[in-house]
Amino acid sequence: MTDQPTASATPTTTPAAGRNVLCIEDEHFIGELYDRALTKGGYKVTVIGDGVEALAAAQTNQYDIILLDLMVPNLTGIEILRTLRDPARVPALKSKIVITTNLEQREDVRADIEKQADGYLVKAEITPHELVDFLNHMQ
Amino acid sequence: MDHLQQLRHRVRQYVFGLVLAENVLLIVSWWAADTFTGLPPLLVAGATLIAGGVLCFGIARIVESYVTEPLQALWQAVLHLSPTDHGIAAPKIEQLRLGQELVTNLTAQIYQMADVAEHAATEKLERSNDLSRNFVAQNLPLPLFTLDAAETITFANEAAAQYVGIAATDLIGKNVYMVLDMLFPSEETFDGWLKEVKAKSATAVHSWERVRLNVRDGHPTRIFDLAGYYNRDNPQHTETMLVLFDHTKMYTQDDQAVSFIALSVHELRTPLTLLRGYIEVFEDEVDTTTNPELKGFMLKMKSQAEQLTAFVNNILNVARVDDDQMQLKLQEEQWPDVLRSAIENLSLRAKVRGVTLHCRLASDLPSVGIDRISIYEVVNNLVDNAIKYSGNSKVIEIETHLTKDGLIETTIQDFGLGISTATVPNLFTKFYRDHRNRAQVGGTGLGLYLSKAIVAAHGGSIWVRSKEGEGSTFGFTLVPYAQLTEEAKQNGDQQITRSAHGWIKNHSMYRR
Repeated sequence: MTDQPTASATPTTTPAAGRNVLCIEDEHFIGELYDRALTKGGYKVTVIGDGVEALAAAQTNQYDIILLDLMVPNLTGIEILRTLRDPARVPALKSKIVITTNLEQREDVRADIEKQADGYLVKAEITPHELVDFLNHMQ
Repeated sequence: MDHLQQLRHRVRQYVFGLVLAENVLLIVSWWAADTFTGLPPLLVAGATLIAGGVLCFGIARIVESYVTEPLQALWQAVLHLSPTDHGIAAPKIEQLRLGQELVTNLTAQIYQMADVAEHAATEKLERSNDLSRNFVAQNLPLPLFTLDAAETITFANEAAAQYVGIAATDLIGKNVYMVLDMLFPSEETFDGWLKEVKAKSATAVHSWERVRLNVRDGHPTRIFDLAGYYNRDNPQHTETMLVLFDHTKMYTQDDQAVSFIALSVHELRTPLTLLRGYIEVFEDEVDTTTNPELKGFMLKMKSQAEQLTAFVNNILNVARVDDDQMQLKLQEEQWPDVLRSAIENLSLRAKVRGVTLHCRLASDLPSVGIDRISIYEVVNNLVDNAIKYSGNSKVIEIETHLTKDGLIETTIQDFGLGISTATVPNLFTKFYRDHRNRAQVGGTGLGLYLSKAIVAAHGGSIWVRSKEGEGSTFGFTLVPYAQLTEEAKQNGDQQITRSAHGWIKNHSMYRR
């Protein structure tokens, strides 16, 4: 019972200021919606639906924020998260990692994932605008 | 034997020398007495005989003391080694006047023989210990491994070999992490534990639940509980012991029940995400000023999507409650703020039904200890019900106050259909719905069941008062945060964690 309250906090003036977002999402329509809302919100967005490709892109360390779906083909989100958080494989990752998933986890598994990420959002509980709001609020 | 020869030679030398000296002394004494004293020869002979006797006695004593000394030393050595404590010290061989080499040699032999005897006795004991240890370990029907300080497997019983599918002899010498590829449900892992105890403790025991083992490619994952025992003082190469309790069948069944729901929820959530996303796009970009009806439709769609999201959460949470997997973390919150924010999320649903939510929230309430998200679910369900059952009435009253027991009570009152007295007692039962209203009002009968479990886990209670045709009032109480922390302190709990099923994870917290 630690679902994020819908990220509909008070609107903010924090500018996206062209921050780079890598959206790892294999559901084409969701990727499209997030791309649209984030681009409108001032972010530069790259959507990748394949796990292996997404990890390669994330390892370039050029993204400020990584939105990570846990169920992507060829490599799971958990594997991507572990790799990115392993300093031996990705030294000094500057990206914030926000899990965006509709998958339901056991409490302890989820707590473990949350510890390694900078945010955890259930996609069905937020609208694209609320996602933008959430990212705007992230330090 | 050289030393013995040497001893005999020395004794011979001593005896010969002494006897020769005695005879010379006697002859000289006799001659002197006879020549110079003029005593009668018989007297001289008698005196010489007596003197000879005395000298013989002296010689006998000297020889006796010299010859028996080494024997005494040997006897002392034997007694010294005897298992019975005679209080005898080891002989001082260097002080012997005769036969030092021989005694040194013989005592060394005696000591060596004693060592051999002792070693044989110990070996016998060890053999018997080994035998019983091996028997127990080998025949234990649970996989058992022992590890040395470098976490290399030093022993694996037959059950262990079978479990991992590798012969026991091949397991020995391998690093345990190469053989047991374990996945733990949390960050509390075996290797982390071992590292910590090795740094801090001489001995430690720990167990883990739901550990997964990837055996080999193509083999199914095994799930087991694991017990680890570490003792720095164990015989070398057995510092750590591991025992596995296989529960694959039990855990897989559990997981299947939950995973079916989790999978369904995932499948429902994806289209929901899209629906809500596209509705938002419509809201942003379709000009509804020219067609107000279209705007109304849009709001209805949005409200229905929100309701569906809430319903999906209800299904999931009921599954969690039923599996005792719903953990609540109670934190200090200002109740009016939380309630206001929960009601705000419901305003669209009320609006599309033409219902107004009237709130009277007391401002001087003590802070409450709640799990915000799960309490949202309770408010959501109760207000949603009130909206659904409002009938033609268009007002819902929401009110908070302090009870005389010092609890924070919230009531949600509608003026709609009401519930018959007969059905009231069943309302909080899973899947129960008032059949007379089924035709008019949709629902699953999960909301109140879930709300009751959540409120109970918070230490509060939920109730209903209703009259058919006049409406219903649902109320629930929450415990002030100060009271919860007091209870937690008394129980020595660090964090207020509760399980939504009426019973408590941290034993003894739940008293109501």
